[in-house]
Amino acid sequence: MTQQTVSYGRRAATYWFVDGLPELLFGLMLIVMAGVALLLSIRTPGPWKWPWRALDLLLIYGGLVLYLVYERGILDFLKVRLTYPRTGYVQAPEEKEWRVETVTTLSLLRPEPPPKENVSFFRLRTVWPVLMAVLLFPIHGNPIGRWFVPCVTTALAVALYVVNRESERPYRWWSALILAVAGLVFAWAPVPGPLQWPLPFLLTGVWMAAQGAYTLVHYLRTNPLPRTAEGVRA
Amino acid sequence: MTDQAQEIAQLDRTIHEPARLTIMLILDGVNEADFLYLQREGGFTQGNLSGHLTKLEDAGYVEIEKKFKGKVPLTLCRLTGEGKAAFAGYSQRMMGVLKGNGSAG
Repeated sequence: MTQQTVSYGRRAATYWFVDGLPELLFGLMLIVMAGVALLLSIRTPGPWKWPWRALDLLLIYGGLVLYLVYERGILDFLKVRLTYPRTGYVQAPEEKEWRVETVTTLSLLRPEPPPKENVSFFRLRTVWPVLMAVLLFPIHGNPIGRWFVPCVTTALAVALYVVNRESERPYRWWSALILAVAGLVFAWAPVPGPLQWPLPFLLTGVWMAAQGAYTLVHYLRTNPLPRTAEGVRA
Repeated sequence: MTDQAQEIAQLDRTIHEPARLTIMLILDGVNEADFLYLQREGGFTQGNLSGHLTKLEDAGYVEIEKKFKGKVPLTLCRLTGEGKAAFAGYSQRMMGVLKGNGSAG
């Protein structure tokens, strides 16, 4: 037995990320979101024009909200088929108790998780910086020219690192650094207009999906399927 | 017999056994966990875990449900209301004993 340094509840919440699927799925969602934004940029180039630009923004936001609603179900579906029952199944405490309070008070940014921490905190903490980025840097608007991609990518990297640093699934500092550096490269590389807004999200998505895929492959290789279905009790 | 000795004598022996205490600790921190997760988290062998779970189930502290996740059988374990109350009582009593001895707090 290893020495217990964190509560079993927190270990259970951390366990949700052991196979890399949450990161992989979130990364893929960001890639799709960037793809949709690129299509919208190509379809309606030019300055802000009501109501079409607002509808574009609404579409992106709607996609993120749909992701939040269906992510848990999709992950359950994938976990059952890809990773279960290699290392067992556990359900962390319910999220109902704190969900409303969390969303309404924006307590996502506080460093200490609540006593009944839950896997969904990661989900909210991770989606939150993306929502903020979409809001702060609206599609079809680029007042800072070639520094747009480096700034937004760095902001995303720092935000993801900072808001998750005390969560059940913190990012490593070097992971955020690599993402930020990847964005900085585009300060000196010409980026076509329609690609400027989607690119930071595309970079973030690719980086997260790559990390998730690596974790998934490593998990599948190090945890072969048990010979009996679950090591079932006698 | 001192008060402390009396308190210790009144500890719930079903929970006090280290393996069962580990199981109760794990299950107290989660909603439910399957057999394999408990086995890995607690460092149990199958037979050992099975035996201790049976004792906890017989005491009414743990509820065991057999179901399927996809096509894979799943044995879910969770604390019952009685189990939660018993574990809270055990924790309180144990903390009292340790605090009384200056060992905790």
